[in-house]
Amino acid sequence: MLQYPEPIAKLIDSYMKLPGIGEKTATRLAFFTLDMPQDDVDDFAQNLHDAKTKLHFCSICGNITDQDPCVICSDPTRDQSRILVVEQPKDIMALERMNEYHGLYHVLHGVLSPTTGKGPEDINIKSLLTRLQQHAEVKEVIIATNATPEGESTAMYLARLIKPAGIKVTRLAYGLAVGSDIEYADAMTLIKAVEGRQEM
Amino acid sequence: MYLDALTLRHFRNYDSLSVTFSPGLNILLGENAQGKTNLLEAIYVLALARSHRTHNDHELIEWGADSAEVTGRVVKSSGTVPLALTLTKKGKKATVNHLEQPRLSSYLGQLNVVLFAPEDLNLVKGAPSARRRFVDMEFGQMSPKYLYNLTQYRAILRQRNKYLRQLHYHQAHDLVYLDVLSDQLAGFGAEIIHTRQVLLDRMMVFADHLHGEITQGKEKLTFRYVLPNELADAHTAQDLYQALLALYKKLRDREIDQSVTLAGPHRDDVTFITNGKDVSAFGSQGQQRTTALSVKLAEIELMKEQTGEYPLLLLDDVLSELDTVRQTHLLATFQSKVQTFLTTTDLSGVAEDIVHDPRIMTIADGQLTVTAPGAGHADSE
Repeated sequence: MLQYPEPIAKLIDSYMKLPGIGEKTATRLAFFTLDMPQDDVDDFAQNLHDAKTKLHFCSICGNITDQDPCVICSDPTRDQSRILVVEQPKDIMALERMNEYHGLYHVLHGVLSPTTGKGPEDINIKSLLTRLQQHAEVKEVIIATNATPEGESTAMYLARLIKPAGIKVTRLAYGLAVGSDIEYADAMTLIKAVEGRQEM
Repeated sequence: MYLDALTLRHFRNYDSLSVTFSPGLNILLGENAQGKTNLLEAIYVLALARSHRTHNDHELIEWGADSAEVTGRVVKSSGTVPLALTLTKKGKKATVNHLEQPRLSSYLGQLNVVLFAPEDLNLVKGAPSARRRFVDMEFGQMSPKYLYNLTQYRAILRQRNKYLRQLHYHQAHDLVYLDVLSDQLAGFGAEIIHTRQVLLDRMMVFADHLHGEITQGKEKLTFRYVLPNELADAHTAQDLYQALLALYKKLRDREIDQSVTLAGPHRDDVTFITNGKDVSAFGSQGQQRTTALSVKLAEIELMKEQTGEYPLLLLDDVLSELDTVRQTHLLATFQSKVQTFLTTTDLSGVAEDIVHDPRIMTIADGQLTVTAPGAGHADSE
């Protein structure tokens, strides 16, 4: 059986390491790469390399960054009295898009989940506690873990550790998505929204 | 509600089948191993998106096919709803009114069924897990919140058992996290226990009434929800939550030692009592069957009360297990208001003087022929 020449076979193999890409797609991408201009290919290779070597986690908040501390942590105009806790760096990007929150962040890099082997020592909780001890100006910790059972236990766990220090701990609200029709909302979202209703 | 039409593709031994039903009694007649129960199972799967016979959806797909389809048209007081369920080896897709449902929880409850199969006669005598499964299955159909609480509870229970194990083997040490898991578990657990108690109390009223009729007033049937003594005095969800929390505190060392959660709705039970005696311990085989029948039939009335519509009644080969009095009762009580499907190998097993104009379908080797069209149905075939 005829085999692909080694360089392209290796490239196909590399593409297949990406999530959601199987052999056929990888082959298509590999052949597409052969047709790309040399400059684009060089940039692509360089970008892949840089993303891995130049990025690391911020030593303060745990966000991905190319400088340390990251842009948010080193920005003095940010509200230093609030820290918003998220599961993943991607969540920060989502929250920054609203352009309304100007406090600081903390990335846990996961949630507590014994079944997948993540205990309190395995996620970025210790550094959050140290941060709170060192910075008395923090008055509120906003917990924005996902609305899953694990996200919920992580939030409750953090609240138990932080509240005794006299710091306010809040949790994001549950409810209807803005601009959505009630008729299309699922039953549990509606139940949560009714439970969390507010007086007008 | 009733199921007006059903179409199967590559389901079990049915390569392709399209059939319409009577809103009243539908009899599926045929020899053993021809596909009678498979057809009942298809209706059950259409309602609950899973089978009562297997946990493995692969078994539902016809040998050699990639996917199975079950579609049906449900007629409710509010209108007609087309339902479709596609089972593939990777997962399932459910549509209501041709709209794909992102979550199974938004699909469930569209079609409600009560199934009575031979193994249900063991409901009274069998293991507590069978009674919990019955309660969870039925209440889950009526209340989306119950179903949600149950899924959350199970997810946290898994995490907590795993964490207890890690504590036991000294792989973890943080007891604050255990408290958090206990707190969460107690929250959902209390809601589940409370709903079970409320709905079981309602169901008991119906069951006692039916049981009185079946036994000609000789027996009085009551239920008791069995839970740890520490929770016996708690009656609201809030009280139950506090009591569970205290109980987890008390059990902590034992739980760590045994690496398992020792209290909560996953360990509770229901006892059926006739004339003051526990039926499972003191009842005769006949009494246990009658009780199981009363409980199942009460389920129909409860569902009507809670959802506003009667469910479908699926009877899998149970008539032969019951004597004429009980059979009469089963069919006479519900045939005018509940769409009923029953499988049998022999029509002589059906007391003919009580059934009115049933639709009879003969099943042989995955093929279905209508032998009697049945009442109340404009037949287009």
